[in-house]
Amino acid sequence: MPADALAVPFTVGGCSPRERDVRGEAGSTQDPKRRGHMAGQSLGRIDDTMLVREAQRGNRAAFEELVRHYDQAVLRLAIHLTGNEHEAQDIYQEAFLKAYKSVANFRFECSFYTWIYRIVTNLCLDHLRRRQVRKEDAPVATDASGEQYDVLEQVPDVRAGNNPERDLMSRELGGRINRALDRLTPRERMVFELKHYHGLKLRTVGEVLNTTEETAKNTLFRATQKLRGALADMR
Amino acid sequence: MKCDWVKENVLLYVYNELPDDARYELEQHLARCTDCAAELKTTRKFHAVLSELQVEEPSPNLVASSRMRLQEALETTSQGGFWQRLVFDPAMWLRQMRVSPALSAAIFIIGFASGIGATYKIVNGGAAGAISVPALSAPSESSVAGIQSISQDPGSNQISIKYNTLSTQEAQGSLNDQRIQQLLLFAARNNYNSGVRMDSVDLLTQQPNGTHVREALIYALRYDSNPGVRLKALGGLGNYVKSDPRVRDAVLEGLMNDSNPGVRTEALHLLEPVRADGSVRAVLQGLAESDKNQYIKAQARNMLAQMPEFD
Repeated sequence: MPADALAVPFTVGGCSPRERDVRGEAGSTQDPKRRGHMAGQSLGRIDDTMLVREAQRGNRAAFEELVRHYDQAVLRLAIHLTGNEHEAQDIYQEAFLKAYKSVANFRFECSFYTWIYRIVTNLCLDHLRRRQVRKEDAPVATDASGEQYDVLEQVPDVRAGNNPERDLMSRELGGRINRALDRLTPRERMVFELKHYHGLKLRTVGEVLNTTEETAKNTLFRATQKLRGALADMR
Repeated sequence: MKCDWVKENVLLYVYNELPDDARYELEQHLARCTDCAAELKTTRKFHAVLSELQVEEPSPNLVASSRMRLQEALETTSQGGFWQRLVFDPAMWLRQMRVSPALSAAIFIIGFASGIGATYKIVNGGAAGAISVPALSAPSESSVAGIQSISQDPGSNQISIKYNTLSTQEAQGSLNDQRIQQLLLFAARNNYNSGVRMDSVDLLTQQPNGTHVREALIYALRYDSNPGVRLKALGGLGNYVKSDPRVRDAVLEGLMNDSNPGVRTEALHLLEPVRADGSVRAVLQGLAESDKNQYIKAQARNMLAQMPEFD
């Protein structure tokens, strides 16, 4: 297990009080249905504090209630990042167990939302790094014109949905976008994921990833440039 | 120059991340500059293309099975917090102590306090060593750091309460509002400011039907350090002396042990309708014989004299 994942419970400091409205802000670039969902989750803000305190006293029911506040958002993020429900479930399990073991060390220096997202994103980053290492060993073939290509890239990517109703066109499009996203560094991928697909403010992205808003912004620029390059013909 | 700035910021514009003034400036420029307007169009299109990859909601089955799996794992997992802090943190504390005398003083105080706390828990936990966990039924108490003020608008039933959580917040609502009630209950029990306790107890006496409210009033009567608050709580409990034995016991306790003669006198008056009750009678006899306060002694005798003899 990498050091940054272990360090989570002890590095919860440095969050600005402004990010308390974080759950309400999410979804700015996504559909209104999900925005409503996130806003609905934010209603429990006051409850969170008391639930965390109860959980810190060893009340498991309170912790399970906290899990129910956040677990759908956690699963949504993990599924979209890993493209695999089993792996997402593993991340979910590991994240909440880690949170349970360390909740006594949570000192309210940032919202519980930021804290749990930090644990989840650390685990997802580990996952992405491992996947990248595996990809480096991926089989490479040479096509008729003599250029090398990744054999795995030719396999249709059906991760996003497994939805038979979705037509072939959009499935292929999804596959191409997924492959372009996979070429980003894990950190770029994470920043882009949180900003574009989960609608978090860059300030919050910075806090979740233990960095500054400026760094998150620059990472987003880099990720966007790479994606534009990879998907140039689709524009 | 301006175009460069716009091209750098058009992505943030699309993501709604520009501050208002920059946003306005950018929009002004876009209206005039076709090149930059084209850049915005491209960026928007790119944004739309990427949004084709949708974020799927996890299926209810997946959510349910994940929760079950987690619950099973939690059964066998213990929280590391307390021991972890005890075992790992001293090294960190020592490191920080070197650089910060103020912190070391704080750590000393915390250590002292947690020592007392731990002893308390062990003593109360009994042989099994179980640490008592407060029920979740009134968990809001833990989120409220303190009550600052309570006020009621004259002529309406609107009550304003200022209380601290992480920051000061204000709750408004009628006395029937559950949140307001919770805050009042918290204020009645826990606030350091006796004026606030007085206000909250006063408001709670307007609606003493709920068991939580009655419990809070009994608590105030028994343990509040301010006689005014105790007197107010007593007033609110008056109507329940007959019907609720717990109220009667609390009032009796007040009558016997309260340090303030005013509270004792009031308690005595409240017990008048139930003077025939066995426990009340016994207390009255005790008071009539040997109470230090002459007035209470005389009143107790009076009440006993008015009582029909049973034997």
